[in-house]
Amino acid sequence: MMVRPAYNPYQHHHYYGNQGNGWVGMRPFQPLPPQPPPPFVDHQSAKKIRNDVNVQKDSIRVEVDGENSECHVVSFTLDAMVDGSITIFYFAKEGADHKFSPLYPDAHTPVKLQFQKGLGQKILQPSGTGIDLNFFAVDDLSKPSTGEDIFPLVIVAEAGSETLLTEEQVNQHPPTSNAQITQAVLEKNSAGCFQVKVIKQILSVDGVRYELREIYGIGNSDKESFDDNDPGKECVICMSEPKDTAILPCRHMCICSECAKELRLQTNKCPICRQPIEELIGIKVTNSSQ
Amino acid sequence: MRYFNVMILGPTQSPYEGGVFKLELFLPEEYPMAAPKVRFLTKIYHPNIDKLGRICLDILKDKWSPALQIRTVLLSIQALLSAPNPDDPLSDNIAKHWKANEAEAVETAKEWTRVYASGA
Repeated sequence: MMVRPAYNPYQHHHYYGNQGNGWVGMRPFQPLPPQPPPPFVDHQSAKKIRNDVNVQKDSIRVEVDGENSECHVVSFTLDAMVDGSITIFYFAKEGADHKFSPLYPDAHTPVKLQFQKGLGQKILQPSGTGIDLNFFAVDDLSKPSTGEDIFPLVIVAEAGSETLLTEEQVNQHPPTSNAQITQAVLEKNSAGCFQVKVIKQILSVDGVRYELREIYGIGNSDKESFDDNDPGKECVICMSEPKDTAILPCRHMCICSECAKELRLQTNKCPICRQPIEELIGIKVTNSSQ
Repeated sequence: MRYFNVMILGPTQSPYEGGVFKLELFLPEEYPMAAPKVRFLTKIYHPNIDKLGRICLDILKDKWSPALQIRTVLLSIQALLSAPNPDDPLSDNIAKHWKANEAEAVETAKEWTRVYASGA
């Protein structure tokens, strides 16, 4: 997985560098310029952002509470580099301050759990704090509400324990924040059991939000175990260098940086899916765990 | 080494089954940024291949991608033999024949395969 800013400040600077000089209205008979220059394609390096907490996307389940068969509780696997807390919301609405609040506080009170640092820990919502899902229509559970960004299930994992700081301490060392937000819907499978489908994961680091999205092909691209005979790790163009460049917006990591340069001059399409390339991002993959 | 002589087998359950088709394949200077040039040397009765052996196949033209390889190009050509497309013809006469009387056109293709692509 890699991260990129959800709101890319560069995105608006790609096209039409010369517009907005006010001449268009003054000279109505001037012919239009022949062709806008081809869009500039950024080739930038991925910025590394450390996420201290990660709810493993594919590990989230809702299961029937053993002690109260009418209620469901949530379980998942958590990777945490530091101590912190988890809050589980149902039908949570995000406020302007990025704090979540339940839409139906009467139906369920958000559950906050503390955790200690550790990788691959299994988190199970304590019995008795679950929710009666039959209270809601399956239709409402299976999709986010349109427009308002209310998701049936929201899991907020926050790094760091809450300690009270004096104003002076805050001024000297503004608290850093590192949280991961998982927004999901609940679908009923053919056996009538609820299944969690994650729609979006957002990483929030010191107030900047990043959407977590998978890069296709990053899993078999690390340089250390590069093996000439493994076709999955080679650049699909030269088939000799390890791939280290991802293409956006299609997120195919399939080429090396040299071929990426060449590709920019020759065509602007992804070799895998032929979608126009908007950005190229060099990603150094290392296997060392920090 | 940019020029290759290629042989491909006619796909089973096609009118070209049992045939051995010779092609020439040339990798231009720009390859893999540009498509290889491929041409049938063996005569073949197919609506998307003309009498000079030129092939009407999108991946050899505007749908080329540098991720494609000689192997995948040849596979695509084999697939084209399995699925002639008379609606996008290169040989007008063969395509007309194919659309007017497919069974008869297939018979002609089989006959050409026997006569020209026996591998001898």
